[in-house]
Amino acid sequence: MEPYEIEFIGENRIISITPNFTHDKIYLICGEFGPFRAGLPVNVPLWLAIMLKQKQKCHVIPPDWMDVEVLENIKEEEKRSRFFTKMPNEHYMVEAKLILGSAAEDVPNAPEIKTIIKDIWDIRMSKLRTSMDALMKTGGGYGRLDHLTMMEINSVKPLLPAAMDNLLRMQMKTKKTAPSLNLNSSTFSQSGSSQNT
Amino acid sequence: MVINCQSLIQNLKINNRIFPKQKQMSTENSGYLSITDILVTTEKVPCKFLHDLPKMGFLDPSAADVDLKAGCSVEIPLWLAESLYSRRPPLVSVELPKIYKESYREILNADACAVDLHKLGQHFYELGCYVAKHDIKSEVAATLNNTYRQRFRMLLAASMSSDSINTMQPLSASERIQAADASNTERSFLTWLQRGDTPLTTANMVANHRKRKRAEMEML
Repeated sequence: MEPYEIEFIGENRIISITPNFTHDKIYLICGEFGPFRAGLPVNVPLWLAIMLKQKQKCHVIPPDWMDVEVLENIKEEEKRSRFFTKMPNEHYMVEAKLILGSAAEDVPNAPEIKTIIKDIWDIRMSKLRTSMDALMKTGGGYGRLDHLTMMEINSVKPLLPAAMDNLLRMQMKTKKTAPSLNLNSSTFSQSGSSQNT
Repeated sequence: MVINCQSLIQNLKINNRIFPKQKQMSTENSGYLSITDILVTTEKVPCKFLHDLPKMGFLDPSAADVDLKAGCSVEIPLWLAESLYSRRPPLVSVELPKIYKESYREILNADACAVDLHKLGQHFYELGCYVAKHDIKSEVAATLNNTYRQRFRMLLAASMSSDSINTMQPLSASERIQAADASNTERSFLTWLQRGDTPLTTANMVANHRKRKRAEMEML
């Protein structure tokens, strides 16, 4: 899957904005939003918020977790824990990128937040890589990875499942010589071994 | 035993590709028309002939005789070896190519990452799956599995590294494909991150240039 597709999925998250215009309810496929009153917060999907922001028609209210202190805590916990910690948001990367990309002036300390989120991402990715490597080395057949977000899963998709596929395929192919083989070739191998002895 | 081998081999050549039934080799990437699989089955494997074969001396380039004597070892392509082996009684006994032999297996089990599979066997895993059944002790299967698991680290490194030429070098053909897939995903993620409101991206050539890398990493 392309990151853009995940961005598209993530854009359906609801966030709060304060519009600077007044408008009736609007009816969208994903639900009805509004009515918009200038100055009063209202919940809209992320994509709508970004669109309105680009037209200078609203202020984005950053989500609760988009705060230096909260993120620092998450980062510390992520560093400390051997496992993945639960992220405040299933699409934290998408949300951070969109909000910080187009509405950075509405978020206090935007540059710091940017750095911390990227740090968290890097920590989680390196953790994911080491655990994948460990899984392969120890010869495990399955792994349990809680609290991974969609973007993270996507970034290892061509590696881990493909590797597992390959292992399984090799096992199936090499095992085929064993007695479970279909009639034809099992007689072949029998005659082959009798020839050798 | 007198067999008309010349026509037999010609038949086999044709049959092997026309009647998939004859190919007892199956599952996914050994699709009937898969180029990889065709390449793998043309790899040569050492075989020992078990019978005298009249007029087949041409199979052994070093033989001066017109006939092929029983007991001589010749390297023949895998597709031919499989067919001759699966006749009753078998005409050949298939031996393991050298990278699947005991000494190489020991190296692989010790540290698979140190081996340059690109040089030793382009299609190490695929060919291994075919010859595994000719291994009497059936240790080849375990070695394949073990090697793949150990070398997974190299795949990870190759997919992450921007110095793709050096990290890709020791990978076998199928590993290279996987590593390329993985680094594609990585790259598309990076471009996604870089895309701001202006969807302008650096040209591939510029991005691969060494000096630019730091800047690329520092972008959120």
